[in-house]
Amino acid sequence: MHESADEHTMERILNKNDELAEHNRDHFREAMTCTVNLMSAPGAGKTSLLEATFRMAGRKFSSTVIEGDMVGELDADRIRKTGVSVHQISTGRSCHLDANMVARLLHSEKMEKTDVLFIENVGNLVCPAEFNLGEFKRVVLLSVTEGDDKPIKYPVIFRNCDLVVFTKCDLLEYVEFNLGEAEKNIQAINPDVVTMQVSSKTGYGMDKWTSWIQSQIEAYRQEQKQTKHVHQHSH
Amino acid sequence: MHESAIAKSILEIVSQRLHSIGAPATAHNVSVVFGEFRNAEPESVEFAFDNMKAFYPGAANCQLVINTISAMAQCKRAQHKYHPEASNAYRCPTCDSGIGNLLQGEELDVVNVVVELDQTE
Repeated sequence: MHESADEHTMERILNKNDELAEHNRDHFREAMTCTVNLMSAPGAGKTSLLEATFRMAGRKFSSTVIEGDMVGELDADRIRKTGVSVHQISTGRSCHLDANMVARLLHSEKMEKTDVLFIENVGNLVCPAEFNLGEFKRVVLLSVTEGDDKPIKYPVIFRNCDLVVFTKCDLLEYVEFNLGEAEKNIQAINPDVVTMQVSSKTGYGMDKWTSWIQSQIEAYRQEQKQTKHVHQHSH
Repeated sequence: MHESAIAKSILEIVSQRLHSIGAPATAHNVSVVFGEFRNAEPESVEFAFDNMKAFYPGAANCQLVINTISAMAQCKRAQHKYHPEASNAYRCPTCDSGIGNLLQGEELDVVNVVVELDQTE
């Protein structure tokens, strides 16, 4: 004999991921590390931006990197050459990082206490948008070789970010990329977002980018100071 | 294929519900809502769900019921309510400003799980 029962739940589907993201946030809070999640399509220049950042930032701030890639350590090797510590997450068949992958790394490897931790997500403009990692800020890179219509095609990731960086701007004169149109498309989806233009190759706009990072490090520290409750973190 | 991760998360919630009953039970269906401003494609999630459910005790015959929710925005400039559409670059049709608040369309929730209690006497 069977009996039916309606179990009312109303639960966020990604609740478990969000809980783990909060756990990761606790780790970052303990280290007072400002964490930035870098997202973009494959080949938009995330690793190049980081290489240029470390070349130019000098002693302005200290950094660590978590490299998310499906296969191999090609990007991690590039970061290692800059002298910045890098921790690899190989996602295998998964097209994005999730909070659990980051949590496993935080529990298995000793993370350096640095001013900023960059998490380079898997190159993809769809899936990474759905998974909170515990980051302080989300940055989306849009290279000028991709097309100014991308914000319209991928609204979720552009809606849920704090900064959009136009990369490869040294190529602007060679491609049909309308910066004004791209800005307009982004502002329609996310009117409060900040945008900036850089070229990792020539260094154009890099001062503005590193200044933004510095301002976020400061904002993160201020936010933590204002957090009144004393956090008790247990594993 | 983050839809697999979404399907897996739904099945984990179903499993938790079955476990919380504390008696033999099977899941008959699970209802979920996907907002238009989430990257969750119903057909892909359903495909992944149907391929994975046999691995979750009590969920092998569970049906996934997906309801999609249209986005509703309040524009930034004048708080007009409108449906943001790609064809209009998500702009307000009245004043052409962008999305201020998204009033709905970002849902990604399990609404309920219908279970059948196995009452063998």
